Amino acid sequence: MEFLRQLLTVAGKDLRLELRTRERMVTMFTFAILVAIVFGFALSPAVEVRLMAGAMIWVTILFAGMLGLGRSFGLEREQDALVGILLAPIDRGALYLGKFVANLALVLSTAFIIYLAYAFFFQLQLTGSGLGLILVTFLACVGFMALGTLFSAVAGGTRQGDMLIPIILLPLLTPVVIFGASATQRLLTNRPLAEVIGNIRVLAAFDLIFLLVCTMVFASVVEE
Amino acid sequence: MRAAVDVTDRQTAGEGAANEPLVEARALEKWYGPHAAIRGISFDLRPGDFLALFGPNGAGKTTLMKILAGALRPTRGEIRMAGAGARDDDHAWRRRIGVLSHQTFLYGQLTAEENLRFFGRLYSLPDLEARISSRLTEVGLSDRRKDFVRGFSRGMQQRLALARTLLHDPDLVLLDEPYTGLDPHAARMLRSVLEQLRDGNRTVVLVTHNLSEGLELANRVVVQVGGRWVLDEHRSNIDEAGFERLYGERVGGEG
Repeated sequence: MEFLRQLLTVAGKDLRLELRTRERMVTMFTFAILVAIVFGFALSPAVEVRLMAGAMIWVTILFAGMLGLGRSFGLEREQDALVGILLAPIDRGALYLGKFVANLALVLSTAFIIYLAYAFFFQLQLTGSGLGLILVTFLACVGFMALGTLFSAVAGGTRQGDMLIPIILLPLLTPVVIFGASATQRLLTNRPLAEVIGNIRVLAAFDLIFLLVCTMVFASVVEE
Repeated sequence: MRAAVDVTDRQTAGEGAANEPLVEARALEKWYGPHAAIRGISFDLRPGDFLALFGPNGAGKTTLMKILAGALRPTRGEIRMAGAGARDDDHAWRRRIGVLSHQTFLYGQLTAEENLRFFGRLYSLPDLEARISSRLTEVGLSDRRKDFVRGFSRGMQQRLALARTLLHDPDLVLLDEPYTGLDPHAARMLRSVLEQLRDGNRTVVLVTHNLSEGLELANRVVVQVGGRWVLDEHRSNIDEAGFERLYGERVGGEG
């Protein structure tokens, strides 16, 4: 119970700070919309976007998400607030999962904007596959943020850490991108949900593994 | 230079108030690769001790504070608080310790009371709102409780940081260069708040380069050089006028 309370305290603090400053939201949302516009100009009208929208959407989610990750532990670096938290009797797992929940909320809201932007610029039909898209996007974002939160803590303790995040993170996110993008692609081309159940299972398995491993490793990343 | 002083059997300032030491450190050593930051320090800290820890840069003072805070493990030796080691129950250890550094550990985009509420919840404190009000009053910030910390002066931020440090009523208070960056007026205000810590119940360790500030508050004076304690005296045995010379002698060429 205390674990859950501490987790929610950390997540609530991060989200409150974000809602006040809107630093990350503005950057991530703006980036996402700009990428959609750039794709709109770059792609020939002859290209049928519906057949490659899954990949375009996931590239946008990944890069927009990584923009925000750099600030996740940057918040704690000002005035060494992270040291203050680590000196408190808080379970390190609760701290990690609290940061993860806040990051997940941000990336999910960015993904929502991205879907809207792509639907608007490329006339994609989202309603028919809505439930499946929500499920796939949620699971892929959980895996993304499970690893992303851990590596933003790693990068936070190094010089030029923000530049390290994509270099370390992208190779590790390959399975999430492959299964997330291919499931999204199928759903956008109105394939039945049953066709992506395998992808959903694999994504859920990766989420479980990433969350368990990262929760266990996090203490050694932030201490000493 | 004098050898390390073993103080385990010495009479310390607060001994009259309580005989049981709060902290017992024995033969502490901390090595970073081939470099020793702490070299075999042993001491007791008792309730009522207000220890001023002086020393030149690189003496290992901050390392010692981190070990006391449970944030660093000594390479060798043992440290216990109320009979228990930091690794026996690290949460219990942390509940008994409050740390004030020159960094405030506060969030500028939260208000004074939101900052205290956040840290209070991490400690799962009962009667949190009453504690917040009480601490803000003690540090003279009760009328600024709903203001964002980013708008506070450096001195006000440091007083709020002190309220955060004391929110959970710690037995051991660690003050690491708390005057850094404060103007003389803000330093005076912080000192007047720190004076309230000399209540005989708490144990306080103050690290500072400001000899007069340290001597004014402390009842026990320690000089650490090269990871060793080269002086450990009751404040009443220290002549304030001659302390600068004595400090210079003990520090030697290291300062």
